Amino acid sequence: MNVEITGLTRRFGRTMAVAGVDLRAGPGVIGLLGPNGAGKTSLLRMMATAIRPTSGTLRLLGRHPGAHGPRREIRRRLGYLPQNLGYYPGFTVAEFVEYFALLKEVPAAQIPAAVAAAIERVELGGKARTKLRALSGGMLRRVGVAQAIVNQPQLLLLDEPTAGLDPEQRVAFRALLRELGQRATVVVSTHLVEDVGAACTRVALMDRGKIVFHGTPEDLTARGEGHGTGDAPLERGYSAVLAGARS
Amino acid sequence: MTAVRVPAAPRPMPAMRWHLRAAARLLRLELRRNAMPWMLPVAVCLFWITAYRKAMAMPPLWSLRAASMQSGALLAFVCPVAGVAAWMGSREARRHITDLVTITARPRWARQLTTWAAATCWAMLGYLGCVAALYGVTARQAAWGGPPWWPVAVVAASLLALSALGFAAGALVPSRFTAPVAAIAAFFALALSTQLIQGSQSYWQVSPIVAAPWDIGPDTGRGVFYPYLPDLPIAQVMFLTGLTMAVLGATALPKGPGVGWLRRPAAAVTAAGLLAAGTAVALAGTGKLDAHGMIAIPAVHDAASDRPLRYTPVCSHAAIPVCLNPAYASYLPAAATALAPVLNEMAGLPGAPVRVSQTATTYRQGTGNSVSVGLAGPPISGTPPVFHLLLPDQLPGPPMTTGGLATALRSSAGPAIVASVIGDGPSASPAQQAVAAALSMSAGLPQPSLPGPVIRRRSTTVPLPASVRSAAGRFAALPSPARHAWLVRHLAALRAGQITLAQLP
Amino acid sequence: MTAGTAREVPGAAAADRRAWPAWPPRAGTRLLRLHAISRRVPAAIAAIAACAIGLRIALIGHWDSYGALQLPLVFEAGSAAAVTITTASPLGEPERVTGRRLPFLRLATTLTLTAAAAGALTAAGTGAHLAGGTLDVLRNVAGMTGIGLLCAAVLGGGLAWVGPTGYLVVGAYGLYTQWHGPALTTPWIWPARPPHDAGAAICATLVFTIGIVITSVRGARDPVGE
Repeated sequence: MNVEITGLTRRFGRTMAVAGVDLRAGPGVIGLLGPNGAGKTSLLRMMATAIRPTSGTLRLLGRHPGAHGPRREIRRRLGYLPQNLGYYPGFTVAEFVEYFALLKEVPAAQIPAAVAAAIERVELGGKARTKLRALSGGMLRRVGVAQAIVNQPQLLLLDEPTAGLDPEQRVAFRALLRELGQRATVVVSTHLVEDVGAACTRVALMDRGKIVFHGTPEDLTARGEGHGTGDAPLERGYSAVLAGARS
Repeated sequence: MTAVRVPAAPRPMPAMRWHLRAAARLLRLELRRNAMPWMLPVAVCLFWITAYRKAMAMPPLWSLRAASMQSGALLAFVCPVAGVAAWMGSREARRHITDLVTITARPRWARQLTTWAAATCWAMLGYLGCVAALYGVTARQAAWGGPPWWPVAVVAASLLALSALGFAAGALVPSRFTAPVAAIAAFFALALSTQLIQGSQSYWQVSPIVAAPWDIGPDTGRGVFYPYLPDLPIAQVMFLTGLTMAVLGATALPKGPGVGWLRRPAAAVTAAGLLAAGTAVALAGTGKLDAHGMIAIPAVHDAASDRPLRYTPVCSHAAIPVCLNPAYASYLPAAATALAPVLNEMAGLPGAPVRVSQTATTYRQGTGNSVSVGLAGPPISGTPPVFHLLLPDQLPGPPMTTGGLATALRSSAGPAIVASVIGDGPSASPAQQAVAAALSMSAGLPQPSLPGPVIRRRSTTVPLPASVRSAAGRFAALPSPARHAWLVRHLAALRAGQITLAQLP
Repeated sequence: MTAGTAREVPGAAAADRRAWPAWPPRAGTRLLRLHAISRRVPAAIAAIAACAIGLRIALIGHWDSYGALQLPLVFEAGSAAAVTITTASPLGEPERVTGRRLPFLRLATTLTLTAAAAGALTAAGTGAHLAGGTLDVLRNVAGMTGIGLLCAAVLGGGLAWVGPTGYLVVGAYGLYTQWHGPALTTPWIWPARPPHDAGAAICATLVFTIGIVITSVRGARDPVGE
């Protein structure tokens, strides 16, 4: 298991963003669905070791991130794309990805190849020397994905990765997710249920800080039959689960 | 998006080489994308205004220009370096990239240290380029001596400290206002330090803007006859290095991811830095003005620095040659021309100096900020007698043009030479006063006068009595050979006070 | 439409003017307030106040000739930097493509803050030995703010502080050369000129005017990156 979470909570002042989450995940792609403010980003940030949990246990890649040594090992094998990607406008695409390869302690000799591979994987090979300030929003998002995968992570956390991508690019991205999920645990937080349906092997639905559903996309679809509202089967399953959780 | 196979990993290299290569790559990235190079034109312009122009207006003496360069360069670089370092320190927060870099494996301090190092490298490059230009021009103009490197080292250490302080401020308070606050605060601290210096035993002279005893100001007499003392620069470099260590160590102290094991070494580095800085301040407080115009700190003083520098003087070709330190060779023609009339009158007279030889200035610290600067002994001494000359430029004050120096020299050294041969002074006889006045008239020197009453603590002078002036006029009207011949025969008696006014031709 | 029934159709501009909604006074105040907050004006005012307090405290001490004239310059530069930093816009293009009010908002913000800076520093020097007096403060603050505004137009609001801080060094050195020549006497280094010097006042005013016109019309340049 790459991810083992038990009773995880996170409080921000008076707000309980994550209110007791249990989750176990191995290699594969997990979609994390939920309405705004459900706690998806907070959960993702804890898994990315960006913030500490208020309580509960968290094991990533077989290690506890509470101690320095294990945390460093986790971070070497971790890829993270936040919802709002900051960047240095003066960097080129290649420099930005290389920067993160260096920070993630990718062996120096492997960096050029790893950077080139990551940029090619997101189909920005022709833009490697372009400054980030000259890129469109969708391209910036792909640069964000490139920096997340440059170290071939065993745990990849993506928050709204397809925001700004055109349909063709979203199709290609889902293929990438499926390929990455064969070896790594990929957690994708998204509002787009079609991404979940196309790329994810498991789905977790969060509401008000708790996971209210955890299963396959087919299971979620089944929950929506005859009950939920929505234009697509997964949307109906989504709304049905939420309605049930809130009643 | 396509699936591309990454080539198989090569054989792993030794850990240390890997770390160094990675660090070098990271530094290279930071060097290429740093804001400091954009500020270097500003710093270079400021250097031109505050340091280069001022140095070029000074005589081409190494120690003088080096001291001027030290304070001017610091003024020029303090604001750009501190401000841009603070700007770079706040970069992660301003670009909303904090989370993204925090969750990487490389420790925060390593990441921040690389950014700081890149900014500092650029600042150092700009500074050294400016120094190279100033020293290069001085090397072409200077007649003797070599560049003192301690002032260069002091400013270099200052840039390290300024960038460390600025960077730490930016990292700690990543606001848009931090950069200008850091720039202005650094400038204010430097300026304030000079206001607090009292005398030569002040702790505040550890401030890097102090290149020499602060109350004396620019002085060509320093570092020419005696070595440029490194005592104060050593204390300053020690202080600045300690400050840099303390600040950089302190950046690794706050609790955070990836620094648990580092906090103890960081604390040790911080403590060592503070200790070094404190020791340096204490050392500066023990400094005292030495006889050669430099600050000597007993604990770090090398006795070899008290020995005079050996040199072969440059001399004019005359009956009584004027000999100067080769560093002042450019002044020789003007000095020889200025003193020629009086030396021609003195040549061949019994007791006249065989040579006018430039000597080192002697400094004595008085009470509070007062310093007396002048000759160590009598103006004429030795067998055969040699007149000890202080060029007006060797005394504290604004640098002079060659013409101004010649005029000042004629006014100060001329009468002194006459007085040393004829025996003028408070106990001089009227005949001596008359002869001295006559010789001054003949040489085109200012007329001597007598000391008058002290009015409101100021000394006054009164003109010579009419009888003395009349006798002087008669003596000056004699043809030069006749005057000279009379002096050869009667100088000894004149000095003994045995000649009266009536006996003067 | 026939000739008999033809009548003059109002021009589009006239129609626009009639269609323009009346501007309620509270909305104007609210706009000013929001604009000020977006430009970090409260922080700038705090910084200016800190400069004024710092000057007042510093004036308690006795300063020699250099210090007495150079000291106020430090706080004037700090205030000017604080004013010019407020030219940075966090909103970028969406704000630039709005209507005609933005230039007036920029103008009002910069003018108000400059006046506040000059006023605060003058008040801080009241009753103390403020070398140069009110005219000196006004000229220096306006001039250095103008330099900062020009820097904002070239480098962006975030780096606008480079101008005032660099000029602080030039001004302080210019004052120093009054005692240790060669003296810098150009009116473009106005801190080194007497308070009533017309040439220096003209230069400072010119720089301020150009700076404020450029930044009001065009705004500060968007961030240039690292």
